[in-house]
Amino acid sequence: MIKNISQLDQTLGTGDARGWAKKVGNELADQMSHLETPGVERTGETSKTFGDFLQDSIGKVNALQNDADVSMQKLASGESRDLHETLLAVEKAEIAFKAMNQVRSKVIDAYKEIMRMQI
Amino acid sequence: MDLLTSLRISASGLAAQRKRMESVSSNIANAQTTRTAEGGPYRKKEVVFGSEPARDSFAEILEGELDEKAQTVHVTEVVNSDKPPILKYEPSHPDANKDGYVAYPDINVMQEMADMIEAQRAYEANVSAVNTTKSMALKTLEIGKN
Amino acid sequence: MDVNDKTFRALATSLKFREMRQELMTGNVANAQTPGYKSVKLDFEEALARATDVDGNLSMNASDERHFNVGGGGFNNLEPEVYEDPNGIVSENGNTVDVEAEMARMAENKIMYDTTVQLINKKLGLMKYALNSEK
Repeated sequence: MIKNISQLDQTLGTGDARGWAKKVGNELADQMSHLETPGVERTGETSKTFGDFLQDSIGKVNALQNDADVSMQKLASGESRDLHETLLAVEKAEIAFKAMNQVRSKVIDAYKEIMRMQI
Repeated sequence: MDLLTSLRISASGLAAQRKRMESVSSNIANAQTTRTAEGGPYRKKEVVFGSEPARDSFAEILEGELDEKAQTVHVTEVVNSDKPPILKYEPSHPDANKDGYVAYPDINVMQEMADMIEAQRAYEANVSAVNTTKSMALKTLEIGKN
Repeated sequence: MDVNDKTFRALATSLKFREMRQELMTGNVANAQTPGYKSVKLDFEEALARATDVDGNLSMNASDERHFNVGGGGFNNLEPEVYEDPNGIVSENGNTVDVEAEMARMAENKIMYDTTVQLINKKLGLMKYALNSEK
């Protein structure tokens, strides 16, 4: 950093503006490196976005529906004789689907709300 | 529709068992009858069951998928038993023959009671079948109702 | 999910076969004392399992519905197995019906029938729900 006004006068006075700018830049970089907490690893990972989260959820709901379908097919063909297992799988899939549907409604509502905002 | 045919089959079972009950009741009531309109003592009645395909017309068999495997039942005939009557020595009886013997029907009332219970059991089984069929039909109507 | 998907067709087909089974069982019960009558049974589970082919192991994929299904068979031409019960205990008049066993089987068939209708209704309900929420 420029330590005092006199130094500035001196530098500017000699007309070496580029050299001065370079000096300031180096000083700044030097300062920045002192701000970093020593010992913390900087990883290349970015945090999950909301979009990723939605994709995961949709995948899970789909998987539950497939499980329910397979369970029903097995019950119909006599391969499985577990009534309660099938009914539970169907309920799980239905609840997951309805929950996801609610999320979808909320997301659409939020989107509409934002679009209505006056900039 | 298959379930309607099922009802018809069960109905035939109920009718057959009812006929059987009729003969059993008649036998029990007449266990001591020594005089009948046709002459001679009462003869024990027996029912003979026979089965026949539930789908009577050929067209039904062609369009159905069960061929003739589903069978109704009916009473083919009611026979008078040809067991010889039991002779008891009762010379004072108005129906005694010249040797003093009276001819009684060869009816074992205990046997008839057992037959009666069996007929009742079979009747109830057919009633249960009717209820199951009816319940299935009603359940079918519930498809899509919510 | 559509009304023609495999699960719907498996469930609907099982309903049809259970109705047929009920018809045969009423015949057995009605003829429980008919001399010479042989108890009949109906099996559809194996044929349905092959058509449903849950694990995908049994058929080759057909690219067009009009192509013949090798092994899988599809649901359209399913034949149940109707046969005289070989394990029937023969009574003195030649009858092989066991009334109590028939009643038990009838009860089981009915429970499975009811459950199947319930599952069909659940799937239909979910589809209607999804349609209704398309606002």
